[in-house]
Amino acid sequence: MKSKRFEALAARPVNKDGFVQEWPEVGLIAMNSPFDPKPSIKIENGVVTELDGKARAEFDMLDSFIADHAINLDGAERVMAMDSLDIARKLVDINVSRKEILDMTLCMTPAKLVDVVNKLSIVEIMMAMTKMRARKMPSNQCHVTNVKDNPIQIAADAAEAGIRGFDEMETTVGIARYAPFNAMSLLIGAQVGRQGVLTQCALEEATELQLGMRGFTTYAETISVYGTEPVFMDGDDTPYSKAFLASCYASRGLKMRFTSGTGSEVQMGYAEGKSMLYLEARCLAITKGAGVQGTQNGSVSCIGVPAGVPGGIRAVAAENLIAMLLDLECTSSNDQTFTHSDLRRVARSVPQFFSGTDFICSGYSATPNYDNMFAGSNWDAEDFDDWNIIQRDMRIDGGLQPVKEEDVIRIRNKAARALQGVFRELGLPAITDEEVEAATYANGSKDMPDRNVNEDLKAIEEMMARKVTGVDFVKALEKAGFPDVADGVFGMLKQRVAGDYLHTSAILDENFHVMSAVNEPNDYHGPMTGYQISEERWNEIKNISQAIRPEDI
Amino acid sequence: MDQELMMKLIVEKVMEAMKEGGTPAAKASGTGKMTAADYPLSEKSADKLKSPSGKKFTEMTKAEVLSGNISSEDMRISPETLEMQAQVAESVGREAFANNMRRAAELIAVGDDRLLEIYNALRPYRSTKAELLAIAEELETKYDARISAGLVREAAAVYEARGRLKKD
Repeated sequence: MKSKRFEALAARPVNKDGFVQEWPEVGLIAMNSPFDPKPSIKIENGVVTELDGKARAEFDMLDSFIADHAINLDGAERVMAMDSLDIARKLVDINVSRKEILDMTLCMTPAKLVDVVNKLSIVEIMMAMTKMRARKMPSNQCHVTNVKDNPIQIAADAAEAGIRGFDEMETTVGIARYAPFNAMSLLIGAQVGRQGVLTQCALEEATELQLGMRGFTTYAETISVYGTEPVFMDGDDTPYSKAFLASCYASRGLKMRFTSGTGSEVQMGYAEGKSMLYLEARCLAITKGAGVQGTQNGSVSCIGVPAGVPGGIRAVAAENLIAMLLDLECTSSNDQTFTHSDLRRVARSVPQFFSGTDFICSGYSATPNYDNMFAGSNWDAEDFDDWNIIQRDMRIDGGLQPVKEEDVIRIRNKAARALQGVFRELGLPAITDEEVEAATYANGSKDMPDRNVNEDLKAIEEMMARKVTGVDFVKALEKAGFPDVADGVFGMLKQRVAGDYLHTSAILDENFHVMSAVNEPNDYHGPMTGYQISEERWNEIKNISQAIRPEDI
Repeated sequence: MDQELMMKLIVEKVMEAMKEGGTPAAKASGTGKMTAADYPLSEKSADKLKSPSGKKFTEMTKAEVLSGNISSEDMRISPETLEMQAQVAESVGREAFANNMRRAAELIAVGDDRLLEIYNALRPYRSTKAELLAIAEELETKYDARISAGLVREAAAVYEARGRLKKD
């Protein structure tokens, strides 16, 4: 006989997910592998001669980079000798300031950082995140993509995402040669939605930098680093090439962050028997040592790996916390989809959503999931009301707010028309009124007419050959009768002259005023301190159209 | 970067170093180091910002772009501005980030195409040791990019030790 109960349970979405027992030898273990090194450091004449149990002669490329660039050596021997449990308790002690914590954690080796966060429960990790996040106010980032690489839809979705509250937007491509259209459509659409929104296009490293130099994007994020040397080689980079690339971006006045995450080394087959969290701590040390302001981490596109092992989702929160302990901007994943279960996908986001991070999602899909070209996201456009109502239920600020249907229709239409005008002025293949109409009311690319892809690709090649830049978009928008959108794109281009937004955790408000960990540092030190939701902001969050108003009864 | 700007930067740095050793750095006059109190520079110190081509930040407007007085080439960050941002970062304890800003300041003068070539040359198995050392030499002599040259030399040594150089 079969149990009817078990039959019902077997049919539940969660049982379509993949799970695996721990297997430390190949790195299939979230934290605390028996093969993880014990924390240690030896410094002779200002040079690290031993790092986490390894002598300098045995250093691989990552060890060398970390030892020479990532650790504040002044206090290192003293801090490394401190009891990890004592430090862990300080992390959740409101009487110990963020600065006092950084004075310790910036002196630590990767193994020591892991040893400290290993001592924390998930709730304690959340308390520590609340204190250690770099910027005072939390924020959110979205993905804007579609399976057809339809530029009008990208512009319309970006504009809608702007009024919904996203401060950063990321696109990528189905067809690589579409990248310039996707990047410019996102840039223009975002500025229609809200001036000051940052936009990026995820591509191969060198191509991504080129688009940034040309003013098609305003920041970059997909600069991957890895926790073992063989995987770094597979990724076709080294810590040194990536550090140089970081400086290339800053030399053009462009904000950038690195990306890494637990599970990538196991997935690529070279975890060297270390736990996922230890390898991620190495990635974060490299990020710090390269002088990069921040990271996108939290397993990101490898989330299926930690999610399959015991304690994996706790480890993902722990890796976000390590980023914060290194004083890095943390763009905390809640990105790629990993489960069939709605319950699991909410639980996975609770640590970052409820604590608040610099960017809670590093890719909330601003489209239906079928249009998400980053292999789907944990949250998508059809969850907008759920997200808003969870904010309202818990009185938390997850960066979004409810919007009115008429406002969304109006802003989508404006973005589509602005792009239509830019295409006309730049001599690109016409955007028809039918396409504008479809983008205005669309949910996804199924609602969009097809474009002539060959004609688009030819026009893109020609546009890039004649060296069109962001300045040309400003001129085209002005000429097409969208002076306010031209102001927006111009305002973004001007950021790269001043460089204020290069700093840790920087975002821009609608007046291009920068808010970063320099002028808006997180000063949490217990109840009623740090970021507090203002009355005005609470009104935005709580006033959902679905709620019955007493005066209507 | 043009030679004149670079010289100016070096002189400023030397002057600062002398000041640190002797009299306390002036605060209010703007000749001292930038700190978090001067940030955002675009609001609090906008008059000190200009592009490498010499255009003043405060005179960069959309109207100037539309009239063609300001080009895409003018809308770039200058070494002086990145040095100021590095100082702001140091004032809040972000030394590694400040160092990145200083490498970046050196690389402003390197053209887009050459910059991408150097990045690609630093990827694994792309260059011999001699090729990397030649790049370091070029960065140092042609662009006075000493910190960046140091990074390339360091990479050359580590790549050699780890067998990540181009096989001849």
